[in-house]
Amino acid sequence: MKLWGVTRSLVTESARPWRPPRMIESATHRWLIIGGLALYGLLALVTVDIDPARIAEGLSRASAFFAGWLRPDFVTRWTDIRAGLLESLAMTAVATAVALLLSIPLGLAAARNLVPGPVYTAARGVLAVSRSFHEILVAILFVAMFGFGPFAGVVTLVVGSVGFLGKLLAEAVEEVDPAPLEALTAAGASWGSRVVFGVLPQVMPRVLGLALYRLDINFRESAVIGLVGAGGIGATLTTAFSRYEFESVSAILILIIGMVFGAEVVSGRLRQRLL
Amino acid sequence: MSEAQHPLRIQELVVRYGWGESVISGVSIALDPKEIVGLIGASGAGKSTLLRAVQRLVEPESGQIFLNGVELTGLPPRELRGARRRLGMIFQEHALIGRLSVMENVLAGTLGRTGFWRSVRRRFDPEDVQEAFGLLERVGLTGFEDSRCDELSGGEKQRVGIARALIQHPDVLLVDEPTASLDPATSVRIMSLITEICLERGLAALINLHDVPLARRFCPRIVGLLDGQVVFDGPASALDDAVLQRVYGDEAVGGDEILGH
Ligand SMILES: Nc1ncnc2c1ncn2[C@@H]1O[C@H](COP(=O)(O)OP(=O)(O)OP(=O)(O)O)[C@@H](O)[C@H]1O
Ligand SMILES: [Mg+2]
Repeated sequence: MKLWGVTRSLVTESARPWRPPRMIESATHRWLIIGGLALYGLLALVTVDIDPARIAEGLSRASAFFAGWLRPDFVTRWTDIRAGLLESLAMTAVATAVALLLSIPLGLAAARNLVPGPVYTAARGVLAVSRSFHEILVAILFVAMFGFGPFAGVVTLVVGSVGFLGKLLAEAVEEVDPAPLEALTAAGASWGSRVVFGVLPQVMPRVLGLALYRLDINFRESAVIGLVGAGGIGATLTTAFSRYEFESVSAILILIIGMVFGAEVVSGRLRQRLL
Repeated sequence: MSEAQHPLRIQELVVRYGWGESVISGVSIALDPKEIVGLIGASGAGKSTLLRAVQRLVEPESGQIFLNGVELTGLPPRELRGARRRLGMIFQEHALIGRLSVMENVLAGTLGRTGFWRSVRRRFDPEDVQEAFGLLERVGLTGFEDSRCDELSGGEKQRVGIARALIQHPDVLLVDEPTASLDPATSVRIMSLITEICLERGLAALINLHDVPLARRFCPRIVGLLDGQVVFDGPASALDDAVLQRVYGDEAVGGDEILGH
């Protein structure tokens, strides 16, 4: 208590006020900026062309949708749904596995501390390109190239996943402890042996964690790219939507949520096992 | 003495990192066969850099390094790898791969002679495995082969590092602060182990040490480094206060503090 008294008195003696510094010091400027932003927001709202009739129509459709949402129907379209889910699962598994295999060499080649400058630049370039378009755009491209169906979907997922896994792997490799690598060099180990002994053991847990995470991203992604014709559960979903079968839509969405949860549980278990 | 009789000879070596000042500025040291040389000097004097330059882990700017009369400086990569095998290195922070087992870390010392695919599949030469078991016994780690290295104590890790260096069949040991993170008793044990092994195998060694009493006790010959230059090279018995003040470059620190009296 005495100590507390001492500190208090110290505070009151040197009573110097303090407030966090403001981003904009002048009050006039501050209010002008806030006012300007509000005005812009208002104008922007006007330009989006809000049509009450369409909102009303949308709301009634939404009520049909939500009514359907409350009465999920797994049965009527079960064969389609099951085929779609299995296809999505297969696409996800194949794409993630292939991407993992491709991303390991690419990720190593994109690590500053392992390769000479030109190789690094080339590999970083490949990784950047593969991440530069959204999956939907890539899917549209591959559907145009390979036609409708899961093959276009798998290729799409592989492209996205290689960019993701490769970049994060390269970053993990650049952060490895350099001391063991130096020790292996000093023992006369070749580049390959140094990677296998010095780098991979340090980054593998991270890579497996990322691959598991990507597995669940890919499953969700497979539902989305299906909307543009790249197969999987997304295709089933679009069909149900276009037939206004909201009960089946609801069932499909519930199953997707369930699968993502399931993936979460499984990957958590695996992670505990592996790391 | 003729060239080939020095297991290791460093001649007028100059090393710099990037464009900065040179960290090693014209160092010459020649080791006689089976000689154990202690390298002392203040932090930042360039002791680690000197050892790394001998291995060409950093490229020297000028000067020569001879290993059993063979010049290392200027060797093309393939031959350099071969030469590095003959230089066993023990590191300041042991530099083991923590996630791998003790056995894998020891066998990592054979990677200079083990093919790539064999190393991927961990199919090591049975003779090497046999030798690794023997070395683990020699450094006092019998039964530890399957432990993960990041679960070992500092002294145990250093023992694994010693076994890894020895399985290379080196001609010369380069040892960087083997006792930097160890308690005094363990430090003495590790230093006795290293020097005993050098005697058994007839190895010459260049050992960086912070701890002057330890250097005096285990290294018959001492080299003192100050700002990348040799300021003392002589028998351990000649290390007196005046020499220590010269090596540590500070009048304020007396020899007594350095010697821990
Ligand atoms: N990788 C590096 N890049 C740039 N400068 C470095 C590098 N490594 C060391 N140096 C510099 O070189 C000098 C010598 O360092 P070195 O590690 O060789 O000293 P040391 O004698 O081993 O010191 P300590 O006893 O603390 O281990 C220091 O000034 C250090 O800042
Ligand atoms: Mg050092």
